[in-house]
Amino acid sequence: MGFLENRFDDNVVVEKLDKLLSWARSTSPWFFQFGTACCAIEMMAAAASRHDLMRIGIIPRSSPRQADVMIVAGTVTMKMALRVKKLYEQMADPKYVVAMGSCATSGGPYWQHGYHVLKGVDLVIPVDVYVPGCPPRPEALIEGLLKLQEQILEGRPLTRKTG
Amino acid sequence: MSEDLQKLIDEAVKKALAGDDEAINGIEDRVTRAKAKAALVKAKREQPNASEKSSTSESNEEQPAVENSENVTSKITKMLDYKFSDCLDGELHSDFIQLKPEYWFEIAKFLKEDPDAYFDSLQCNTGFDLGDGMLESRYNLHSMKHLHSIEIRIKVNIDNPDIPSVESIWRVADWFERETYDMFGINFTGHRDLRRILLPEDWDGWPLRKDYEEQETYHGIVVPKVKEGWE
Repeated sequence: MGFLENRFDDNVVVEKLDKLLSWARSTSPWFFQFGTACCAIEMMAAAASRHDLMRIGIIPRSSPRQADVMIVAGTVTMKMALRVKKLYEQMADPKYVVAMGSCATSGGPYWQHGYHVLKGVDLVIPVDVYVPGCPPRPEALIEGLLKLQEQILEGRPLTRKTG
Repeated sequence: MSEDLQKLIDEAVKKALAGDDEAINGIEDRVTRAKAKAALVKAKREQPNASEKSSTSESNEEQPAVENSENVTSKITKMLDYKFSDCLDGELHSDFIQLKPEYWFEIAKFLKEDPDAYFDSLQCNTGFDLGDGMLESRYNLHSMKHLHSIEIRIKVNIDNPDIPSVESIWRVADWFERETYDMFGINFTGHRDLRRILLPEDWDGWPLRKDYEEQETYHGIVVPKVKEGWE
């Protein structure tokens, strides 16, 4: 940490503001509960007392304006896809998306004959983490969210991206 | 126990067996009432033959009712043939009635209001693509009064899929017909609010028809067509 390192008492931590911000973001990614099908049940189970997402700082919000992470839990139909996009646009930056389950990642069982199903939510909004499963167990969702936290921690919000 | 009380109990039990429950419930003394109830249970147990007889007679009565419900389709067919000449389409069937679309509204009104038919409940409306350019709409009717039910089938050509709406006769047909319209494009003439019900309003095509082809894009969203190795 350059010349500032080891100049203060033990209680003082010297760190880049960049890293501090991403650390703060990674430890409280409130998610927008977006249950469109049966995956929502597993998402609820993950947020409930047995799996308790709150112990890693993740709590459900019902409004997109209060949320950082959108968990797309379930089948997204063409009709819903437009709404998903609109709700994603209503979220404040920084925003992340977790595609939960087969349907949200690729259309799942509706891949071939589901004329009305969006074949993967990444056709509409950018996705950060894909959680496979039909539906994925709460452990899988928690694994995905931990991966997302790592990803947020690596990000540098104040550094301008070049090249 | 005094003889008077015993007489009272006996009389009450006799009345209760004849169907008058108030005889026992009307006894004021609690102990006597309890004794009377116990005596009633005992008396009922001692007359198993009587109850058996009544149950067999009930089942005998039910038997012809079931036969009637099997005949109801042909009965209604005869009624319709008599009342609306030339309304039947094709040959007769024993389990459904094939009708032409022209008089369907009047027939439906008749089926609902006629005291012998009295189909006061439309239970389901289903669309059907028969292939060969024919669409079909099927109605399952049930009578809450007579407890009988029939099935009506109406065939239309895919190029001119007009069927009179029965939405003003059975109010429940409102959403049924909207769904059939949504999936098959059957045009229910006279429906007050015939819009798509499940799919978005700007959807292209009728998805459950056999010749339906998926659209390539929807509002700029690409529908992937690569489906190799799946069939």
